[in-house]
Amino acid sequence: MDSSYSNKRFAEDIGVKFPLLSDWKRKAVKDYGVYNEASGYGMRATFVVDKDGIIKHIEEGRTAIDPTGAYQACNLFDKKKAN
Amino acid sequence: MIKRSASLVLLLAILALSAFAQQTITPPQAPAQQPAPPKTHLKVGQAAPEFVLTDTEGKEVKLSDFKGKKNVVLAFYVLAFTGG
Repeated sequence: MDSSYSNKRFAEDIGVKFPLLSDWKRKAVKDYGVYNEASGYGMRATFVVDKDGIIKHIEEGRTAIDPTGAYQACNLFDKKKAN
Repeated sequence: MIKRSASLVLLLAILALSAFAQQTITPPQAPAQQPAPPKTHLKVGQAAPEFVLTDTEGKEVKLSDFKGKKNVVLAFYVLAFTGG
């Protein structure tokens, strides 16, 4: 929901290596059901999606700030690959 | 007659007092409940909705760009630049 420009500054400041995407029009937050009509902002949430486009893990609210759940879900992919 | 008027006044006074008492004794109403934050309608095992979003270089990135190639972690990190 932040602009691409704000995201660029943020990415530079914290040195992220993954794509930082802007949902300026609030379409993705609505499509993913994490848009708060009352505040006009999205909620913090993490979705892990596999290569087939299927949702494998959802983390919402305060716990979404902690990447542990998403990290564990990603580990499941690695384990599947190893088997 | 006087006695009757006196008792009417007394009755009115009692009614007025009880109305006042009701006003002062009634506990304050609990503050209006904040609406619950939205929960996603999506479920594990469902297809993730397609998105087309812009990266920091102005390039469009779609979920379908990664189909068959990479797993995707989509983190909605709202108001990222606010330090919140």
